[in-house]
Amino acid sequence: MAVITDILQTDLNGIILKNPIMTASGTYGYNNEYDDFINVSSLGAVVTKAISLNPREGNKHTRITETEAGMINSIGLENVGVEKFINEKLPVLKSENIDFFVNVAGSTIDEYCQVAKICDDNNIKAMELNVSCPNVKSGCLEFGVDEKSLYELVSAVRKEYGGFLTVKLTPNVTSIEKLGIAAQNAGANAVSAINTLKGSKIKISYINGRVQKEIITGGYSGRGIKPVAIGAVIRLSKAVDIPIIGIGGIETLDDVLEFIAAGAEAVQIGTANFTHPDIAQKLVQDLEKYITDNGFKDLDELKKELRK
Amino acid sequence: MSGSKAKRMTSPNGAKFKTMRRVKLKKASEMIQDKIKKIYKAKVARIEKVSSNSHLIEIDLPFEIDIKAGQFISIYCKGLTLRRPFSVYSHFGNKIGILFKERGAGTKYIKSLKPNDIIDIIGPLGNGFNIKNKKALLVGAGIGAAPMAFLKSELDKKGIENLFVCGFLNKNEIPDCINIDKIYTDDGSYGEEGSVLNYSDELINTYKPEIIYTCGPYIVLKTIAETAQQYGLEVQVAMEKIMACGIGVCRGCVIDIKKNGEIVNATVCKDGPVFLGSEVVWQ
Repeated sequence: MAVITDILQTDLNGIILKNPIMTASGTYGYNNEYDDFINVSSLGAVVTKAISLNPREGNKHTRITETEAGMINSIGLENVGVEKFINEKLPVLKSENIDFFVNVAGSTIDEYCQVAKICDDNNIKAMELNVSCPNVKSGCLEFGVDEKSLYELVSAVRKEYGGFLTVKLTPNVTSIEKLGIAAQNAGANAVSAINTLKGSKIKISYINGRVQKEIITGGYSGRGIKPVAIGAVIRLSKAVDIPIIGIGGIETLDDVLEFIAAGAEAVQIGTANFTHPDIAQKLVQDLEKYITDNGFKDLDELKKELRK
Repeated sequence: MSGSKAKRMTSPNGAKFKTMRRVKLKKASEMIQDKIKKIYKAKVARIEKVSSNSHLIEIDLPFEIDIKAGQFISIYCKGLTLRRPFSVYSHFGNKIGILFKERGAGTKYIKSLKPNDIIDIIGPLGNGFNIKNKKALLVGAGIGAAPMAFLKSELDKKGIENLFVCGFLNKNEIPDCINIDKIYTDDGSYGEEGSVLNYSDELINTYKPEIIYTCGPYIVLKTIAETAQQYGLEVQVAMEKIMACGIGVCRGCVIDIKKNGEIVNATVCKDGPVFLGSEVVWQ
């Protein structure tokens, strides 16, 4: 058995990942669902599907549609709730040795705090706050678009949770930097950027002599949002001192390098997991090869070079 | 991962993964060999037009797979974000056949493939038909004939008596590669005239099946399920829905089903695509 060197080790200032390749919430299930395609424990970390205090059924209408350069989803945070997560999903993460962040969503500060407390009690090492889901009616996104609300939320969660805390920011704001600063000031260890963009698709068909329309509104993700994400990471990196976890349309090694150059310390692969369920593991390999082939000592040295 | 070389960063919160101990990890390239993974490259063996609006593509897989009628594979279509799921039409050893109708960008790509082209496949995915040792009526409609044909071959192999009926719009739509016991066309250009749905009572009364399996447009599944229930017959329906992940994680393809007196979400890709007609909450 070969030993992977620690050249990909990624220090997020509070937690150390074996490599910077993570998978984004909502695209990777709760634990080892991608086991049929890759060795999930080889990834830097898996971010779980958003967990709320109580189970959520999600939305009833059409939930997904493909777009020119990605997809729109309106799942509505369907999830098993924190209790079932702790009892049924967490043991698998532990027994399979998967490093993970629990993504947490809520409608009120109290809900977030209760889940955070449960995570803390269960010794969960890392949490990602979802304050930016565009598909639920109350809470969530509202925290993500207002600096004061976000500061209040993150401060409250910080009191309940002693582990590593990253806040997932929405691009659907005028100044993502201000939200990043609010998260930092409230005690977040990192920020994750970006969540999906709000978007719509109108499906038009002509059936039995009539035009029929279906409008699907939700979060736009995938290839098409990468430039928006890179822009957000660049702006955030100038505004905050805490690490940035870059997310948005990543599919190739070049994308990973671009995010690192923009200032991301780690990245999350989202929609591309649907297209290529083995992509995250492949990116770990590709990044390792790139570093070795080009004579860098390790990822940290590559990062310095890319940010010169 | 780190051993003594690791930077011993102390977290403000004391949080860290178990990175401080030496963990041996295999190179990713070696791990892929660990077990047969459900993602692989396969070669197009042949592709041909089998009706006015459908094609048959035969694919050579790199190894033999176990696949049940009603299960599906998902094909990566160059340039598209979402893979396209197809239920399997035929299966011999490492060769599978898919019947498809050109509907959009995904099927347009698949139609453009040539023999020896390499395609990227995941599968088999989902739950297929739960074959019972009971006299079976198989009802297909349009391209829904594909998994029914596969199911028929499975039933025949097991020596289970069955009748495979299928409805099409017209004669030109009937794939010439399929053996169907009884055909119905909306315009009467082949077989009996009218929708297969108009004949469901008659079929049940004369053939007297003990179970019904069906695949086709939503309205066909719904009507057959309701009819079967009137006769107290078990019916298994193969559902269809736009999918993203194909493995149950994204929750994009959920439908409502009845379970223990409650209505709950079920994913077509993982919990299905085959469901009991009696458990589906029909719209």
